[in-house]
Amino acid sequence: MMNSDDWLLRVEDLSVHFRTPRGVVQAVDHVSFEVKPKETLALVGETGCGKSVTARSIMKLVPEPPGEYASGAVLLRNLKTGAVTDMLSAPMDQVRATRGDRIAMIFQDPGKALNPSLTIGRQLAEVFGEHRAAMLLTQAGIDPEKGPIGSGSIASQRAGVLRRNFFHLTRRGHSRAIRAAVDDAVMSALSDTGIPNPRKVMSSYPHELSGGMKQRVMIAQALACDPDLLIADEPTTALDVTIQARILDLINDMQQRRGTAILYITHDLSLVRQFADRLAVMYAGRIVESGPALEVLKSPQHPYTQGLLAAIPRAGTPRGKLAAIAGSVPQLIDPPAQCHFSSRCTWCAEACTSHIPKLIHMPGDRDVACLRFEQADSIGVDPSDMPSHVASAEVVS
Amino acid sequence: MTMTSIPQSAASNEPRKDRLRTRASSVRWARRREVLREVMRNPLTVVGVVIITLFLLMAITAPLLTEANQPDPYQSPRDWANIDVGPGVEGHVLGTDSTGGDVLYGIIWGSRLSLQLSLTVVISTLIIGTIVGSVAAMRGGRLDNFLMRIVDVFLAIPELIFALAIAAVLGPSFRNIILALAVVFWVKYARIIRGEIIRVKQTDYVAAARVVGDSTWNIYRKDVLPNAVTPLVVQATLDMGNVVLIGAALSYIGLAQAGLTEWGAMVSAGQSGILAGQWWVSTFAGVAILLWALAFNLVGDGLRDALDPKTEGR
Amino acid sequence: MSVAVEHPNIGPSAASGSGDVMTLHDVKVHYPVKEGVLQRVTGAVRAVDGVDLSIRRGQTLGLVGESGCGKTTLGRVIAGLVPATGGDIWFDLDDSSKLLMERLRAIPKDSMSREDKALWSQLESNHRLGSMSRERQRIYRRNCQFVFQDAFASLNPRQLVRDIVGRPLRVYHEASGNDLDLKVINLLERVGLGPQHLLRYPHQFSGGQRQRISIARALALNPEFVVLDEPTSALDVSVQAQILNLLVELQEDLGLTYLFITHDLGVVQHMSDYLAVMYLGKIAEIGPTEDVFSNPLHPYTKVLRDSNPSLEGDDLDGSAHLRLTGTVPNPIDPPQGCRLHPRCPVSQPECGWQVDDMFQSLETSTPASFETITRVERSGPFAAQLVMTDDAAARHLHEEITSSRSPFGRAVETITLDGANVSIRLREVEEIPLIPVAPGRMSSCLLAGRPGGINPPSESR
Repeated sequence: MMNSDDWLLRVEDLSVHFRTPRGVVQAVDHVSFEVKPKETLALVGETGCGKSVTARSIMKLVPEPPGEYASGAVLLRNLKTGAVTDMLSAPMDQVRATRGDRIAMIFQDPGKALNPSLTIGRQLAEVFGEHRAAMLLTQAGIDPEKGPIGSGSIASQRAGVLRRNFFHLTRRGHSRAIRAAVDDAVMSALSDTGIPNPRKVMSSYPHELSGGMKQRVMIAQALACDPDLLIADEPTTALDVTIQARILDLINDMQQRRGTAILYITHDLSLVRQFADRLAVMYAGRIVESGPALEVLKSPQHPYTQGLLAAIPRAGTPRGKLAAIAGSVPQLIDPPAQCHFSSRCTWCAEACTSHIPKLIHMPGDRDVACLRFEQADSIGVDPSDMPSHVASAEVVS
Repeated sequence: MTMTSIPQSAASNEPRKDRLRTRASSVRWARRREVLREVMRNPLTVVGVVIITLFLLMAITAPLLTEANQPDPYQSPRDWANIDVGPGVEGHVLGTDSTGGDVLYGIIWGSRLSLQLSLTVVISTLIIGTIVGSVAAMRGGRLDNFLMRIVDVFLAIPELIFALAIAAVLGPSFRNIILALAVVFWVKYARIIRGEIIRVKQTDYVAAARVVGDSTWNIYRKDVLPNAVTPLVVQATLDMGNVVLIGAALSYIGLAQAGLTEWGAMVSAGQSGILAGQWWVSTFAGVAILLWALAFNLVGDGLRDALDPKTEGR
Repeated sequence: MSVAVEHPNIGPSAASGSGDVMTLHDVKVHYPVKEGVLQRVTGAVRAVDGVDLSIRRGQTLGLVGESGCGKTTLGRVIAGLVPATGGDIWFDLDDSSKLLMERLRAIPKDSMSREDKALWSQLESNHRLGSMSRERQRIYRRNCQFVFQDAFASLNPRQLVRDIVGRPLRVYHEASGNDLDLKVINLLERVGLGPQHLLRYPHQFSGGQRQRISIARALALNPEFVVLDEPTSALDVSVQAQILNLLVELQEDLGLTYLFITHDLGVVQHMSDYLAVMYLGKIAEIGPTEDVFSNPLHPYTKVLRDSNPSLEGDDLDGSAHLRLTGTVPNPIDPPQGCRLHPRCPVSQPECGWQVDDMFQSLETSTPASFETITRVERSGPFAAQLVMTDDAAARHLHEEITSSRSPFGRAVETITLDGANVSIRLREVEEIPLIPVAPGRMSSCLLAGRPGGINPPSESR
C-alpha cells in the first residue's frame, strides 16, 4: 500500500506529544496512513483518541509548546509536478502558503472560525484576495503580471506580489471592477454550497446565521481555492440531524464535482458508511484498524472496532443488551509499552500487556494492529502467552 | 459492569464510621494542599508570599525588634540629638526625620498599622459586600434592582476621592481613614459576589439540588457560596495591598494624626527634606508601601491564575 | 380518590399499578422578550407552546426533536425546575381520577356545581403541580428526579461523591452518619461504582462514571419517575452503551418510569416504548416507537428518520429521502397552522400559509420581484396589501402568484390588482391540533388521515 505512487497525502510514523505538568501525553503515537487523490478517508475514534491532533498536525496547527512533533513526516504531493513537501519540516512561509491553498479545513464549531465583527462577504473576499488574486484580476480586466513592482519569478513570492498589486490597483480606480469581480466570486462560491439568497448572507454577520448556514459558509471558504485535500474535523457534530444530512449531501456533492480528497474526522461510525471510501479507526493515539470502509464495517477485525460497532444501538438489539465495552480509555501520560486496548479487551493475554502490536497488512487492503494476527515467534514470546490466533486468511472469507 | 462489593461485615462495623469521617476530612485537606501547590507553582506568587510573611513577622515581633515607645508605641521615639541624620548612623540604621524620629522604628511599627488597616477594612467590607450581594442575587427582582442602584452610585465615584471626602468630613485620625475606606470598598465585593451567584445559580448542580428538594439556604450554603467565592478571595487579596496604598495617600495629605508611624504619613513628613538631600525618610517609607502593595498584588494575580474556574479541578 | 399519602413511595407498591405518572394538558412555557430601557415586554419566546402528553406508569416515553424544539424545557417543566406559564401538569393520576379530571376540565369554572368544585379543588391539591398540598408536593419532589445531559456540570465540584449522592437522603432525613455512608455505597454499587469512589471529587472521574454518579443521586430517594435529559449525548458510543444498559437494568429492577429526552434517534428507538416527536414547541407525532419508525405519520418524523445515519440502511443514494428546506423559524413568531409547513416537503394549501411565508419564498426564489415591494400593509397574518414600485412590477407579481402551482400559490383565496397595489388574501387556517389517526397513534399532520398519507405525491401515485 505504501509503494504505490498514486497518493496525495502520506502521514508517516507521526508522533505528537504534549508536555504537561504531570508528564508527557502521547496524543498521537506512530501513526501512518495515506490519502489518495479524490478519495475520502474517514478517521474514526472516540474522545481523546488523537484524531483531531492528527488532523491538525497535517496543517501543522498543533501549538508548540506544549505540543511537540516527536517523530514522523507529513508528506503532501503536488499532483501536477509530483513535488513532495513535508509539512513538518518545510519553512513556515511554505506551510502557510499550503494552508488554505492546497489543504483546507473545516471545523466542528463554525461559529468560532468566523470573525464575529466582519460580514460574511468581507471575510470571504479576504480569502479570495489572498488565494485567488490572479483569477480575480483577470476577471476584472487587469493583467495580473503587470504590476508596479518588478515581478518575482519564484512561485512563493508570486502570491505576495499579486496581493500587493491587487490592493494597489484597488486604490487606483479599478476598484469598482475588482469589487464586482470579488463579489461575483464570493456569491458563486456561496450559491455553490446551496445557500439561498447569497446576497443577503454576504451582508450578514456570523451571529445572524444558523449553525448549518455557518457551516455552509465555512465550506464555501474552504473550497474557495480548489484545494486538493479537505480536512473535515467533525463538521456536523454540533448540528442537528436534519441539517447534518444536508451538509453531508453538500460535502459529497462538492467532492463529486471538484474531485477533492477528503480526510473526514468523526466519532460516529454510522456516518462513515454513507460516503467514506476507506476507514481508519484510532484508539488511544494509534491506528488499530484500517481498510475499505464497507469491508471494515461489515467484518471488523480488531476487538475495539468490533466493540465499537456492537455498542451502537440498532433496531434489532434487545433493550438493555447493548454490547458495551467495559472500562474506559486509558490515560496517555507516559503509557506503558503495551496494547492500549488490552485493559478493556476480552481476548487480552499475557503478550498483550508487554508488546505494542504493529499494523499487519492483510488481504483485501486491510490492516489490523492486534496480536491475534501475529505469530508468537515473530515477536519472540511463548505461544501460550498469545491471545487466540486468527489467520489472516479467515478475514477475507 | 460490576465492581467488587464491600464486605457484609461493614454494615455492623462501628469504627468504620469514624474512619470514614477522618478519611473524608483528609481527602478534603489533600485537595486543599493540591490547590495550594498549584498556586505556589508560580515563582512570582512565591516572592509575594515571602514578602508578606516577612511583613507579618515584622508586625508580630515589633516589640522585640525595637523597644516600644511609651506611652504611644505608634509615635516614633524622638531623638532630639540626632535630627535628620542619614542611614547608618549609630543607633539609626535608616536615619531619622526632622523631629528625630527613627525611620526604622516607623517602618516596623507602621507595618502593624498597615496590617490593622488592611485587615479591618477588607474583612469588614468582605462581610458587608457578601451579604448585600448575596441578598440581591438570591432574592432578585426589585430588591436586587434597588441594592444594585446603590452600588452603582458608590461605584460612580473614584475610590480615592470618595474616601478622601468622607475622611475629610470625619476629621483627621487614623480610625476615620479606616472608616472611610470601609464605606468605599464594600460595593466592589457586593457587585462581584452578585455576578458570581447569578452565574452559579444557573448551573446544573444548583438545578440538581432543587430537584432533590433542598432548601434555598442549604443550596446557598453548599452549592452557591463555595463556587462563587473564588473571585472574591482574589479581589480581597489584591485589596489588602490597595487599601494600604489608598490609606497611605490619605495620610500623606494629612488625614492621619501628626507624627503617626504610618508609612503614608512618613512619606509626607520626609518630603520637605528631599530637596535638602534628606532622601531617606520618604524613600524607605515609600519602598515599604510599594513592597506591601506589590506583594499582595503578586499573590492576588497568582491566585487568579491558579483558581481560574475554567481550569480549576480539571 | 385513592391517594397513598402516608406512603412516600407511590408506584408499584401502591395499589394502582397503572395510570399516568404525569399528565400534561396544553402546557405552555413562554419566556417574555423584553426590549428597551424600560424593559417593556414585546413578545414571548414560545419554548413550549401547548403540549398534551401522558406518561404511563412503568413505561419509557421517548421525546425527540432537534435543538431549540423545546424538549429540554418540557423536561424541566415536568421535573418542576421551570414553571409552566400556561396549562396544567398533573402528577400521579390513576385511571379513575384522570377520567374525573377530564370530565371536570370540560366544564367551565363558573358553571360548575358545588360538589364538582369541591372535587376539582381536591383533585388540584392532590395532583396538580403548583396547587399541590405541601405533603403531596414533597411526595412529588421525591418521586420525580432528573438526570442532566452534562454530568460534570450537574455535580458540585466542591463536594465529595458521598455528599453529592447522600444529599437527597440528608434533605429528607432518611439517613445520617454511618447509615448514610452505607446507603451511598449501596447506591454506588447499584450503578456499577464501588466504595473506593466514596471520597472522591467529581473531577477525578471519567465522563461515564460521572453520569453513573448522577444516576445514583437520582435514585437515592427511590423515585418512581426519572426525567433523563440527553443522558448519553456527551458520552462516547462505547460508554453510552454501558449507561443505556444500566438504565434499562435499573428500570426493570426498580419499576421506574422514564421520560427519555434525546436528539439521537438510534438511542430513542432502542430505549423507548412510546415516542413523542417535538418540533418548535409542539408535539408533531406520538405513538408506539416501532410504529412511528416503521410508518411515520408526520413528514417531520419521516425526515428525522431518513436523516439519521444508520449502519444498516440498504439505500445508499440520498435522493429518495425527504429533506427539509430552510432553517427553523423564530420561536417568537412561529408559523400559523402547521408549524412545519414552510419547510415541509409535502405541504398542502391548507397548512396555514401566511403573508410572511410569501415574503420568504419571494425573497429566495425571485429576489428581483421581492425588491420591487415598497410598502406592506398587513391585516392579520393572512391578508395584506402590497404597494409596488410601479404598475408593471405589480402586474408581474400578480402574474407570478396566480400562476404559481406551489401549495402557497394554491392557498391564495383572492388576489386583486389595483394600479401599483396588490391585495392578497390567503386561506385562513386555525392551529392544527394533534389528533388520533390510528389506534394509539396521534399526528398533527393534515395528511396523516388521508388516503395517500404523508408520502410525497410522486410516490403515492
